[in-house]
Amino acid sequence: MTQTKASKRIAILYGSETGNAHDFASILSYKLRRLHFAHTLSTIGNYSPSHILNCKYLFVICSTTGQGEIPRNGQERSDGTRNNTLWSFLKRKDLPEDFLSHVHVSFLGLGDSSYPKFNYAIKKLHERIVNQLGAKELFARLEADEQCLIGSNKGTGAGIEAVYFEFEKKTLKYLCDTFSLRKLNGELVKRQGISTDLYLEPISSLKKSDETENMIHNTEPPRFLGDDNVKIGTVLNNKRITAEPHFQDVRQFVFKGIEHEEYYPGDTISMYPCNSDEAVNQFLSLQPHWSNVADMPLEFNHGIPPDLMDGGLIGKLTLRGLLKYHCDIESIPRASFFMKIWTFATEIDKLERGREQLEQQREKLRQFAYDEDMQDLFDYCNRPRRSILEVIEDFGSLKLPWEHMTDYLPIIKPRYFSISSAPCDPNIELTIAIVKYKTILRRIRKGVCTEYVSKLAIGDSFRYKVQNKGTFHHNLKKKSMILVSPGVGIAPMMCLIRSNICKDISLFFGNRYKEHDFLYESTLREWHNDKKISLYTCFSRDKENSSDIKYVQDNLWKFGEEMTRKILNNEALIFICGSSGKMPIQVRLTFVEMLKKWGNFEEDEQAADYLRQMEKNYRYLQETW
Amino acid sequence: MTEGKSALVLIHPAVTTTPEKVIKVAQEAASEGVNVEDQFLINKLNDESATLAKGKYDVIYYITPESAEEIKFPSKLVPVIADSLKDGGLFFGLSDVYKVDALINGFDISRDKERYVWKKNSTNLSQGPAVIPLKARNKNSAPKNLPRFKKSPSAKLPVFKRKSEEPVKIARHIDDLDDDSDEEAQQFKAQFLKNLEVADELIEEEELITKNDQENDGITMITCKMTKTKRKKACKDCTCGLKEQEENEVEAVRKKQDTVVKLTDEDLTEIDFTIQGKRIGGCGSCSLGDAFRCSGCPYLGLPAFKPGQPINLNSIMDDL
Repeated sequence: MTQTKASKRIAILYGSETGNAHDFASILSYKLRRLHFAHTLSTIGNYSPSHILNCKYLFVICSTTGQGEIPRNGQERSDGTRNNTLWSFLKRKDLPEDFLSHVHVSFLGLGDSSYPKFNYAIKKLHERIVNQLGAKELFARLEADEQCLIGSNKGTGAGIEAVYFEFEKKTLKYLCDTFSLRKLNGELVKRQGISTDLYLEPISSLKKSDETENMIHNTEPPRFLGDDNVKIGTVLNNKRITAEPHFQDVRQFVFKGIEHEEYYPGDTISMYPCNSDEAVNQFLSLQPHWSNVADMPLEFNHGIPPDLMDGGLIGKLTLRGLLKYHCDIESIPRASFFMKIWTFATEIDKLERGREQLEQQREKLRQFAYDEDMQDLFDYCNRPRRSILEVIEDFGSLKLPWEHMTDYLPIIKPRYFSISSAPCDPNIELTIAIVKYKTILRRIRKGVCTEYVSKLAIGDSFRYKVQNKGTFHHNLKKKSMILVSPGVGIAPMMCLIRSNICKDISLFFGNRYKEHDFLYESTLREWHNDKKISLYTCFSRDKENSSDIKYVQDNLWKFGEEMTRKILNNEALIFICGSSGKMPIQVRLTFVEMLKKWGNFEEDEQAADYLRQMEKNYRYLQETW
Repeated sequence: MTEGKSALVLIHPAVTTTPEKVIKVAQEAASEGVNVEDQFLINKLNDESATLAKGKYDVIYYITPESAEEIKFPSKLVPVIADSLKDGGLFFGLSDVYKVDALINGFDISRDKERYVWKKNSTNLSQGPAVIPLKARNKNSAPKNLPRFKKSPSAKLPVFKRKSEEPVKIARHIDDLDDDSDEEAQQFKAQFLKNLEVADELIEEEELITKNDQENDGITMITCKMTKTKRKKACKDCTCGLKEQEENEVEAVRKKQDTVVKLTDEDLTEIDFTIQGKRIGGCGSCSLGDAFRCSGCPYLGLPAFKPGQPINLNSIMDDL
């Protein structure tokens, strides 16, 4: 996209880890385009610091990662370089306090309050940009909480999407109030959004390639171009490590890269999954007019959309290839999906009741797109975890134009897994729980990526990247460590224990049944017997093997005196890993109680302060999902 | 700059859709020898994104579509306006609703050429106590129901910094923004971008988190009008029973599905249309898909279908 001077005046910058901030930034960008506002959309990392001088209106959407940090794409460029990014520039000590006085800014933070460093990234950006460098805030920032416990949606039961909508509403209102007119062919006209029944053509669309008329048939493994950081891994082992009758399938997944990989405890692998051929074929059968073009070579008319570059774009561009490797057709649709596609509900022929039913379908799709009360959308899509594919199946009137598919179909995002193998071991090991669950939908729900992983066989290859997170950067030598990791939270602990950086490790591990899902039982017992670790186990549904202790926090309490001593006398490091939600909160409360009972802290507040201090010094780490 | 009188126009956001009102005021002012130098949206003053120079204007006009009795104006801006007027300066646009604010801040209310106007006293009232009827002072006189006037998020007092003072104009279109950048300041700022390669000292990120940030203040809360019912979702490690309740609901729906889905000899699935009364329920919506089905519909959780035709097998087969 070419940048005009005007388009630099308004910038939407995002820092995104799992993709929510990216999604919301894209939706805001789309809304601005519908209102004829030229603007820049970029990750914070890719935004050139020199553009900030021309920026007047800045909208920042950022999640928080790791131990209260700005996500990777907020700190570095897509090519992995970190010097002279906007954020490293703005942190310069010599900037005057009115450096950003020409900027009007607003912030939206996305966070999860089960992390103690809730929304720290947006708080840091806010403090620096507004309070220290003098940018003017258009309205007080919003902080979304996945748990709805604190932040802007505290106690409302409304999810992070509702917080985004509030941000969007305020932003659009401000811009429309301030710039109520626009120039059209030299004339001033009232600024009006493009009518909702018009589809806004994306910046770049697909067309049949001029070069060749030949169909492309899959004879060789696909190649992915344009992302130098993406690597190809080969599967060495993919073994189920929970007992067969147990409901949960957990895999010990081992692979090898082509080059040697450098990684340390807490680092993760991002995997780029793809859709199954069944899903792709089903999509094509639901949109029969796509079928005869499905294998034709295609190209983009105005360049490759940047979102497609992460992980590399499939070398031979076809509808089938894009559906399989890039378009997230098994994801749950957002309101913005309906906003883009509802006008394509045009086909009467497929409907048993003709025009009446067509109108009914159009109205319903429109309602999912624009209803402020998102209850219907929530009940139809989010609650039962309905996929885009299933929505298209239900709405027979949808006749989607393939030319714009990368605009209205979301892009598949990588998924992150903690590394379990010893640091820098060329055989990289992951511990992956295969996601499967029931909702009211007849078909069992499956995680797109873990379903993909579960089907990978030895010798298969896949795309990945290594994320060096520097989790233990500040803690190279610690006398003691207390590791708390129920379930698959054990994954990074395996790497940490294998790294031998600490001689006194207490591992609190928990699962449901001793006989079914005691992950890495023999290895852990061996380490315990060799005094490499002290292992404390509990099994929440297993009265026989764990009668008095249900959860990891109960076990912590049981050995509270000893652990408190380690914390206070040995400056032990605490690392909590596992499922987000109540576990990390309960564990934290348990530490507070321990400090009070055995650590001479009289009040809750003092104990909590001590934990906050530990966090600040990177002695209290948490990795939950 | 002209020799004439200098004026400021303040605009209610709703007026931006009718720019002719603003033009009319400017023309009338011009006919009286008054030159409109600056123009601000009132909410810019309110959120302190625009500031006013002291003692600069002879006349200030506030343009609002509200009727005189219903004007909502942030009281905290009255002293700001008083400060920016020259002694004896005139302020048009408010009404007796803000009479008390006028008096406190040293305005006389009078009529000038049959127009209602506030006139700034030439004596500086702040040096002596102002006599005001206490009764009329309403402690809660801050305007309500005026969402555009957001309270400033920071508890800081308004700071009138010269450096950050930019004339903020009503831009007619986005390109107007290009005109009002302060070249000198931008050049000064640009210096910092020249030597990007020089490793400068950086601030400590951790120090950006202040104690205050750990509390839940200074942020915008959402005004959640949309949830009819709370979208409560069971936690992953739910112990309160919500998860069981959800699971029971799911099981109940799946049981109902079993009454309409059967395995045929070939192990294929199809909707059983032979079940009396199930073919299309009384509501007539069974075949249309979940988006249109009733909450007790036995087909809930199954794809849309055409009556008489087997349901799309691919979508559900693999898990039966």
